[in-house]
Amino acid sequence: MKVGLKIWRYDSATGDRALREYEIEAPEEATLLDCLDIVKDRHDGSLAYRKSCRMMICGSCGMRMDGAAVLACKTRMYDIAQEGRVPVISAMGNLPIVKDLVVDMDPFWSKFKAMWPWLEPGYDRPDDGREYRISQERMNVIHKEALCINCGCCVSECNAMESDPEFLGPQALAKGMRFVGDPRDGATVERLERYNREHGIWDCTRCYFCNERCPKGVDPRDAIAKLGAESIRLGIDRDMGAKHAKWFVRSTETTGWLREEELIPKTQGYVSAIKQLKFGASLARHGKVRPVPIPHVARDVNEARNLRKVVQEQDREGALGIVQGERALARLAHGGGAESLEEIYARPGAAPRPFLPGDAEGGAVSPPGAGGSAGGASSAGEGSAQGQGSLTQADVTPGKEPTRKRGGE
Amino acid sequence: MIAKHDVLVVGAGCAGMRAAIEAYDAGADVAMISKLHPTRSHSGAAEGGINAALGNAAEDNAEIHAYDTVKGSDYLGDQDAIEVFAEEAPGDIVQLENWGAFFSRREDGKLAQRPFGAAGSPRTVYAADITGHVLIQVLWEQVCKRDIPVYEEFFAWQLVEHEDRCQGVICWDLLHGGLKTVGGKTVVLATGGAGRQYRVTTNAYACTGDGMAMALHAGLPLKDMEFMQFHPTTLYPTGILLTEGCRGEGAYLINKDGERFMKHYAPNALELASRDVVSRSEQTEIDEGRGIEGSVLLDMRHLGAERIIERLPGSRELSMVYAGVDPIYDPVPVRPGAHYHMGGIETDNDGATEMTGLYAAGECACVSIHGANRLGGNSLMETITFGRRAGRSAAEWALSHTTVEVPEAAERDADARLRELLDREDGERPWKLRDELGTSMLENFAVFRREEQMAKQIEIIEGLRERYPNVYVEDKGEVFNSDLTQAIELGNMLDTALCMVTAGLVRKESRGAHARPHDYPTRDDENFLHHSITRWKDGGVELSKSEVRFTKWEPQERKY
Repeated sequence: MKVGLKIWRYDSATGDRALREYEIEAPEEATLLDCLDIVKDRHDGSLAYRKSCRMMICGSCGMRMDGAAVLACKTRMYDIAQEGRVPVISAMGNLPIVKDLVVDMDPFWSKFKAMWPWLEPGYDRPDDGREYRISQERMNVIHKEALCINCGCCVSECNAMESDPEFLGPQALAKGMRFVGDPRDGATVERLERYNREHGIWDCTRCYFCNERCPKGVDPRDAIAKLGAESIRLGIDRDMGAKHAKWFVRSTETTGWLREEELIPKTQGYVSAIKQLKFGASLARHGKVRPVPIPHVARDVNEARNLRKVVQEQDREGALGIVQGERALARLAHGGGAESLEEIYARPGAAPRPFLPGDAEGGAVSPPGAGGSAGGASSAGEGSAQGQGSLTQADVTPGKEPTRKRGGE
Repeated sequence: MIAKHDVLVVGAGCAGMRAAIEAYDAGADVAMISKLHPTRSHSGAAEGGINAALGNAAEDNAEIHAYDTVKGSDYLGDQDAIEVFAEEAPGDIVQLENWGAFFSRREDGKLAQRPFGAAGSPRTVYAADITGHVLIQVLWEQVCKRDIPVYEEFFAWQLVEHEDRCQGVICWDLLHGGLKTVGGKTVVLATGGAGRQYRVTTNAYACTGDGMAMALHAGLPLKDMEFMQFHPTTLYPTGILLTEGCRGEGAYLINKDGERFMKHYAPNALELASRDVVSRSEQTEIDEGRGIEGSVLLDMRHLGAERIIERLPGSRELSMVYAGVDPIYDPVPVRPGAHYHMGGIETDNDGATEMTGLYAAGECACVSIHGANRLGGNSLMETITFGRRAGRSAAEWALSHTTVEVPEAAERDADARLRELLDREDGERPWKLRDELGTSMLENFAVFRREEQMAKQIEIIEGLRERYPNVYVEDKGEVFNSDLTQAIELGNMLDTALCMVTAGLVRKESRGAHARPHDYPTRDDENFLHHSITRWKDGGVELSKSEVRFTKWEPQERKY
């Protein structure tokens, strides 16, 4: 098949930058990386890009296609070529370009290292000299974070980093969660204190682009949310972000609606809020402030309170309470609590139920652990607690339909 | 010389990082050189697991592990090395766990272990099917903790031998350009394999045998180079690896008639026979017309969605992305693909080579514990156990000696040679030679080998080597000149491939991965129970042999 590519070439030695177009002949199964190889071999040997494993595990070939970060080796070109589209290939964002598609990863790795990215064992080593024993369920808290291959796609797309280059960023923070969530780690508080500083977890703008672009389904934004939740659970809440979140919960729980007027002083403190009165007045003049509502308790306040209760009853305080989006709901079902999820989807007007484990056998999800054990997908016989896979791993290539054949499409 | 260190580790995969960590802990000033960032190393692509006789899933001990390995090696493994390996493996696994490795667990909280090919007990510790990724991450974390310096994207090109010992490495700085020499009282080579000699391979683009070639060109012996493992389940058409863990979890291999053909070849072990046996069976099915487009099928459907998703998520993802097949619903087309060099730089049990101050570990080394055929899960364990041993002995030697000196002439010569390559204005582009090498190796030196094909392959490689001095590099810049490094890699692959085929031609028997069913279908212990040694002499390969070390297992017929 014929494949057209437009590649942003850049030479840091001269500062020259140019968009070059190439047309190549490639086999139908070719990925973007294969196409770049053909360009380099047969058309222009000076094209620079990183590559190694070509099987989505080494993380070398992160780059942008039509402005979105992808792993070149994961991006099949067939559909694009059939459409006659000529995609624009450029280096990843938020990192200095060295040459063509090669970026300087030093800032990336220095943030990685700032996370204290190693386990500080918080347990006594067993006397028999053998491994420390711990259940798979407890380890599964971090199974998404442990998938990270450090490719930098999330960092490339990070909006917060664009405005604050010192922001630790989704990759480093996901690595942080990999240790905060590790039940074997004994430095959780020290870590969270560190991650709570300026440029830390609360500087994330929650645009979810990192989740969207991560080629491995790590969902870094979820990891950041988990770090926030763990910080609050452990009382590390000096940051305005934490105070904001806490007030949000308190306000909805007490009156069932968000009391915006109190939000600013509760987040920033009264002194700081008073200093901003002038700004508030200016907002009011431009009609940007709503009239102060009469204090009341919302009619359905119990729904909000029940939600809170559910979280507490399910023992989902902190990181375990972070459930975002349908993909995450599917994971939740995988790890336990499937019955209640079925109920949620059975409600009139509920969103279509996503494809869930167990569907392949044609039935609904079987309730977890017959003996009432916490979590753990049932069946699969002996040792069913060993898995750490995710149903959603394979279906995250941007612009690609998942190849699975059944489910909620 | 831009810097000096006590211990200089070349390559930063599992073996390299493990060696560096050990040398650091022994008190040495250690640094690593790698042409990739450490986490990009191909160790990270290992999937199925790492073998240690923990006995968590069933009765097991080091002796059984050692015996399985000896038998798997077709009695060509050095038994004293294998015993050391099997005994020290469990301790190394516990240490990795203690460093934070995210291994899969049993219900009782111990490390889970799965069955693997030719293993007498479920012995393979794993992390779903991304074990290599988990190991490379945990080792990188420990490297960060110790703040061990890494010369990243330094392409190691030549060893510096001065006063009869290795004193450093001359590298091309990929990111900034220019030759840079790093001195070391001792050097540990951990540069991995050379699977890119083949068109269909599980190996990364980076696996080009640079360390083996460096050692070869420095006059060191390469051992058992003819033994190239073909992995039975590589995806059609790309050659991407699907783990042996698929079969460990119960997947079937079927031919186009839907028959589980392994029952004809290995009636007891079936799909879990040794890798060489399964690859030969597949190739026979394909050659005799019972394959589909040059492949057979790996059928996981009966495992069920849940088991596949839990235990084999990576293999499922690879199948979906690269073959367009979801193994939950359809069988996956697979065929044998070049996977692992059993051979490599000859070392003793502490990683020491013939050259004072030079050590080697991992796939580029040949201790030898794999002999003629490696068991799945043993290579990751080898990187850890022998990486540690090499790091320890390199550090001990370095700490008892003081000077590092690199003669200026060595740097000048290297620079002149490099400029000659870089300044060449026309000739042939390296990719043509690379493609010819890959295609011809697959045709003439793969699962089954014939006398005339091997002889022809030697001619082909010699022909390519004659053309090699005319290859030219199109990129004339200094910054990230991967065109240059790829040209150098091609030279490394050509020379190591010549060693392989030359050694293969004279081994007139079938042993392990070296199968000659047409002329020498059986193992010949009388004449060939020895290691093949290849050295570089006067621009060609010189052959010799060395003895296999036995302890307690006499050679027997190998059946699965």
